[in-house]
Amino acid sequence: MPDIDPTEHEIAELGPKIKDVDDADELRAMLALEEDGEDRVPVKTLIEDRIEKVEDEGDGEMDPETVDLADLTVADVANMVREVDDGDVLRDLLEREKAGQDRKTAKSQIESRIESVEGTEETEGEETAEVEYVPPEEKYPELDHPTNDKQWVEGTVGAEYRDMWVYCETQAGELVDVSKEMLGKARELMDTYNEDYDEDERVVAVLIGSDASDHIEDVIAYGADLVVSHEDPRLERFRHQPYTEIFCDMARAGGELAAEGREDVAWKDYHEPRYTVFPATNNGRDLSALVQGELDSGLASDCSGLYIESAMISNPAKVGTAGDKKEFERVLHMKRPDFSGFEYSTILCIDKPNRDFHPQGASVIPGSFEMPDPDYERDGEVVDYEMDLDEEWFTVEVEEYDRLSGGVDLTGNDVVVAVGRGIGDDPTQGIEQALDLVDAFDEADLGLSRGVITSSYSFDSHVEQYVTEERQIGESGQEVEPDVYIAAGISGAIQHKVGCDESDTIIAVNTNPDADIRDFSDYLIEGDLFEVLPQLTEAVEAGELGAMMEASDD
Amino acid sequence: MTDAVEEYEAVVVGCGPGGAAAAATLARNGVETLVLERGVDAGSKNVSGGLIYAEESAPYTIDGLFPDFREEATERPVTENVIHNIAGDKVKSFDIGDLHHHDTAWADAVLRRKMDSWLAQQVHERTRETGGGLLTEVHVTGLLRERGEIVGVTTEELDPIKADLVVAADGVNSELARDAGLMDWEDPDEWFQGVKAVVDMEPGVINDRFDVAPDDGAAHLFSGDLFDGVRGGGFLYTNEDSLSIGTVFHLDSIAEEHAEPHELLDSLLTHPLMAQWLGGEYDEREYSAKLVPDSKKAAHPSPHKDRLVLVGDAAGQMQAQGPIIKGMNHAVTAGALAAEAFADARARNDPSQAGELYEKKLHDEGVMDKLRPTGYKVFGQLGELSPVDDLSNAVADSAVGRFGVRAAAGLLERAYSSPRMVSMIPDTKLPYVTLPTVIAEELGEPVTDENTVSPPDLADRIGDLTYDVGDPHIELVDNSFEASGTAVTACPVSAQDFGGGCYRDETVKTNGSEEHLVSLDTQPCVECGTCAIVADTEWEHPAGGKGVEFKQG
Repeated sequence: MPDIDPTEHEIAELGPKIKDVDDADELRAMLALEEDGEDRVPVKTLIEDRIEKVEDEGDGEMDPETVDLADLTVADVANMVREVDDGDVLRDLLEREKAGQDRKTAKSQIESRIESVEGTEETEGEETAEVEYVPPEEKYPELDHPTNDKQWVEGTVGAEYRDMWVYCETQAGELVDVSKEMLGKARELMDTYNEDYDEDERVVAVLIGSDASDHIEDVIAYGADLVVSHEDPRLERFRHQPYTEIFCDMARAGGELAAEGREDVAWKDYHEPRYTVFPATNNGRDLSALVQGELDSGLASDCSGLYIESAMISNPAKVGTAGDKKEFERVLHMKRPDFSGFEYSTILCIDKPNRDFHPQGASVIPGSFEMPDPDYERDGEVVDYEMDLDEEWFTVEVEEYDRLSGGVDLTGNDVVVAVGRGIGDDPTQGIEQALDLVDAFDEADLGLSRGVITSSYSFDSHVEQYVTEERQIGESGQEVEPDVYIAAGISGAIQHKVGCDESDTIIAVNTNPDADIRDFSDYLIEGDLFEVLPQLTEAVEAGELGAMMEASDD
Repeated sequence: MTDAVEEYEAVVVGCGPGGAAAAATLARNGVETLVLERGVDAGSKNVSGGLIYAEESAPYTIDGLFPDFREEATERPVTENVIHNIAGDKVKSFDIGDLHHHDTAWADAVLRRKMDSWLAQQVHERTRETGGGLLTEVHVTGLLRERGEIVGVTTEELDPIKADLVVAADGVNSELARDAGLMDWEDPDEWFQGVKAVVDMEPGVINDRFDVAPDDGAAHLFSGDLFDGVRGGGFLYTNEDSLSIGTVFHLDSIAEEHAEPHELLDSLLTHPLMAQWLGGEYDEREYSAKLVPDSKKAAHPSPHKDRLVLVGDAAGQMQAQGPIIKGMNHAVTAGALAAEAFADARARNDPSQAGELYEKKLHDEGVMDKLRPTGYKVFGQLGELSPVDDLSNAVADSAVGRFGVRAAAGLLERAYSSPRMVSMIPDTKLPYVTLPTVIAEELGEPVTDENTVSPPDLADRIGDLTYDVGDPHIELVDNSFEASGTAVTACPVSAQDFGGGCYRDETVKTNGSEEHLVSLDTQPCVECGTCAIVADTEWEHPAGGKGVEFKQG
């Protein structure tokens, strides 16, 4: 009687179970049980397959002490030695291979098995072995590109690093919110750091741009101890090369690799920053990768959490000795979401014995950290960083650009005149008439229902520019709350309602007096908008709108 | 921080009953399984008429895979089954308990949001144990290929994911099945369209009005002349504290008759027969719609390619057994069989065999014969040739036919209860409209109740649904009325002379000439897929977490 009675199991369970049965007779007994019982074809196939496999293995069983290596492929050798634990048998095999075909790959299989069988004994009780460092060029002389270790830019070892540097991005003359969020976080991290390690390291804000100096006060208020800024009219828009060159020049100033003339600066006496933090914005992502590459370090991109802690590391490439563990201090732990936040990885950037990985750099997803309250009483040191920018860096010219945000802002108007699909009979005239009414007010603008924007109406060119998503009122558009909201030819679906419901007075114009908009309008003028809108315009121009409304309020 | 592609042993796309069954079975076999669901929650994209069956002959049932299923995830079991033949206000009702009970271990009414989100929890727990898990709000857009061979999936939110097995359980509008070229959206006659209203009702009121015990429930079906000649019928199922009332029609018939699905639903809701159940007040919780593949024509006989297997609606595995529609049970079986096939194939060290094995299992386990019955091939399709249909209609409607109906009332009731007879029913007017109408006229009693229900209009139905509008996910390729005008009526959230729907009929004047066009706004879209078939569109699902969110389903 076999251990497993297949008739008691579903096939899905049998698959994995049967893999552990190595006895062909037992399998044959199982097969018989199945044939007498449920006689399922797939189950039988499964068992038969296994029998075949087990017997194959049985046939191929070989004695490593006597086997003729010439009969075996390298793969066979590899499989065979995996089962052999006796070093002498293995050495004998190795000798026989050398005497026979002398295959390099077969020998290395046997050698590595000897190592794994005996290596453990040799190292027991002894000090762990140093990992020997061989530069990649020497290690792989035959390769053009010894990529095992990327060739470095700097090759610095054991240099001094201090401070947390924050790249403070500006856009269109504004310090972007994530810059403030990063400064707040950096302040918090470094305050704790200085306390924990009894240090006096700073938060350094870097400002680069055509208006860099405008933001100095702000970045200090948000937490910087030191502001390093460079201003140049050519830096109005972000460009890769000049921004990277400037940042790296600042980071290296006063250090081992400082540019000529900046070997000694009053504000910095270390090699490079200990930590760098960039915003994970479009430009910040680009800059962070370029800077960290140039500074010969790594980058944890798109992080959502940062903290500084010691870390116990056992990776021999970092520790320098195999099997050893070493505690690294002051390690920036950079947490980043994978898989939309399904998982998180924490990235550490750690020096190797023969190469520094500093600054420890991260880019930070906007909104990850709280916006701090600015303190305009704070003091900070300011460095106007002087440096000549090479014309060569500006060979890429930005000829044209669009600003996508901005757009039409309908909020803040006294009056919004919105039109809907009621204009369908003559869309161009509908927009024209709505614009006339807009013009009759002092502070007014045109809104549209989603129905108009998604229609196939064809508009004449002079009004076409007004028919854009930017003017959409409603759930998927703007929400407005003017004094007066005029909704002409809009039925008043719930999605539209949420965009205008807070208006003080809602005046609807509709041919259908039972349209949903009636439920949330203060006034409903029953009529064709093509007739009503011009009359409204006239009334407004004559200063009689109020009277007109009174008349229709019954 | 590496650019290596994420890799799992199995990726299951969609966490409805098919995906859940596949994932649970994979996990039970120790397979590392990632489940991707595009809704904010499993079930938020899912609609069904509302009955899930457990068949005695099926190798897998949902409660076999998820033991607490009936306690945790379903509404009321069906203990009473009636079909009503309707002509005007005359109604003849047949008890079809025998048809219902044939091969049925149990059948429960379900609401999909509750059911699927419960399943998803179980699936997440089980798949986590084998190194995977469930991720919501991920829209799988297509297949990842290497040298022309399917090796994984691409998504809108994540980097591509490789897998030894890709289970497409992504529903009736499966983008994976279409990417693989296994399914299409070409023929309206391969599809039904269902619309449904979930109506609020106190449990005690349900017990009274349907005369059922608190733990029992009823299923009523409706056919006859109340749907303007459109081929199809209606249903009413009792949930714990609501009713699921809906209509299901052949999509080709909806298209031909330019029928408005929401109006057909209203025809049922406002019929005098319904008054006894609906009473005076009517509170509609949710309006929903979905396409239903007709497995007789649409079920793919070989639903796999490379590492991809299709299960459930994605493979057209929705069986219309006369008036009874069975879909979820087949999805469960297919999902589990696909998983089993992969486990077998893996045990033989050749995971690539999974598709072939799955196909073999579908046949061996009798699933395929239920989906594509041979009787239908012989008789049903013959009945669909129009001269035969016209003749049958004429005979049934003639004095001779009517005499036969009167004489054979008992026989007819038995015929409706024969699974074999109903599996051969052709898709014509005869069984759906003519015969029930004649039956009701000759045998029926008038209903005297007055139905005062006034269902919400389409704008309110749309307004009550929850959306998160993303970028438009449907592109209207040809906006001429000839090419895409059918969508204005056939789309369940659009209507002639209604500006708030998806598809709007527009006459556009340009330079003196006039064009009859259709415009599209995907905001109110319920993602049923109707327009993919009846209009000229590029159809995709919205991004993960975007689009309609059903609270009942």
